[in-house]
Amino acid sequence: MLGFTPLEIEALALSARVAAWSVLICLPSGIAVALVLVRCRFPGKWLLDGIVHLPLVLPPVVVGYALLVLMGRSGLIGGWLYATFGVTLAFSWQGAAVAAAVMAFPLMVRPVRLSLETLDRGLEDAARTLGAGGIRVWATITLPLCLPGILTGTVLAFARSLGEFGATITFVSNIPGETRTLPLALYSVTQVPGDPVPAIRLALISVAVALLALLISELLARRISARLGARTRNAS
Amino acid sequence: MPGVVPCRATRVVPRPAWPTVVLILLLSATGIARAAEGPVLVYAAASTRDAVDAAITDYRTRHPVQIHGVYASSSALARQILDGAPAALYLSANVAWMEVVASRDLLAERRDFLRNRLVLVAPADHHLPRQFADAADIAELLGDSRLAVAETTGVPAGIYARAALETLGIWGGLRSRLAEMSNVRGALFMVERGEAPLGLVYTTDALASSGVRTVWTVPEDAYPPVIYQLALMKAAADAGHAEAFFRFLLSSAGRRFFTERGFGTRD
Repeated sequence: MLGFTPLEIEALALSARVAAWSVLICLPSGIAVALVLVRCRFPGKWLLDGIVHLPLVLPPVVVGYALLVLMGRSGLIGGWLYATFGVTLAFSWQGAAVAAAVMAFPLMVRPVRLSLETLDRGLEDAARTLGAGGIRVWATITLPLCLPGILTGTVLAFARSLGEFGATITFVSNIPGETRTLPLALYSVTQVPGDPVPAIRLALISVAVALLALLISELLARRISARLGARTRNAS
Repeated sequence: MPGVVPCRATRVVPRPAWPTVVLILLLSATGIARAAEGPVLVYAAASTRDAVDAAITDYRTRHPVQIHGVYASSSALARQILDGAPAALYLSANVAWMEVVASRDLLAERRDFLRNRLVLVAPADHHLPRQFADAADIAELLGDSRLAVAETTGVPAGIYARAALETLGIWGGLRSRLAEMSNVRGALFMVERGEAPLGLVYTTDALASSGVRTVWTVPEDAYPPVIYQLALMKAAADAGHAEAFFRFLLSSAGRRFFTERGFGTRD
């Protein structure tokens, strides 16, 4: 009863892999998009803003279907990917990571954007007047001060990726060991009459993993705010 | 004491709200109870969707009854029924799931209803790299893609497909190259879209879709006979509408909607 079954280990490992890759996709692109949205002015910005937030408000199955149509092997982008690189996203865990990343993207952008908006631009200007170049200002001032937002975004995106269901099952189906993540495994066992124990166990595992992610983020957030606090104290 | 009066008054104000709350709860509860007696819900295997929908539409032109089809894999439907779903009729694509529901003493009556066969389909507009000759070609024709099937442990179409692949001696080579979908129509959809170059579905699914073509009819001795059973649920047996529609489906007029879509019938 206490040990994990092979099905659970498989789903857990796959979920972790998919969520980790989803975050890896979201992190750099999310920070970049947040920067563009906060610091740049250009016509049609509202459209970019809207597209970025779309997965937050669209039914996930719409996102999954759109991914299938665009990124499937016979899709516009997917067909090109397959013809050029031999890459197939449909039915693969990489596709699951892409689906999770698209769904998690707004959750990554929003906190980073908030951090950037509330950031004191005077600090950046001060660094610049002291002779720091653009990259140095970014690495020593902007990025560290945005860390709480980036961390929140990372945790939210990771959690969303772990829980992603609708877009995943529509885009990459439900293949054991390849695309059957925790929520899909739970869905699968609820589709068949019989023993309720596997479903309950998978649900409890999901809760435990989510709690663990929150706990880790809380610990990290405390360390970061402690360090940021220490820095400001040193500075003053 | 003037101060006491407003105090009492404020205490009194919430009291008249309680009967209202209780009344709302009662009303909504009767609403729920009525809904259960309302439309006749036909829980039918996904493969029978077009035929059941057509039968419902036809029946409703002559009878002022609300009938709705609920479609999913027979296993998912069985699960929902065991969990108390308000099904009036249950149409299962195999006998095993019907037995599970029957074992809980939920059925008023059940009948053998339909037959079906398995076929191998390919997207209508794609050309296979070479002509299909026999089952051993499946692995080669798949290339680096997957064979679309229904989920092979619970969904009837998937269980039949697995049995066929086992009999044909190609299950071992193919089991890791399947795209298992939550029902047979999901497998059909993946072939229609060209995401899977081949799929194992029912012959009736292949007929229902203009997006696929039948490449091969799986030999019938390779898998157990596909028998659909139709049941009238005990919970709905008292409601005349449910039983009337059950009899209509079993009548020759009702069966016509299935036979003209490629189903075999049987009593």
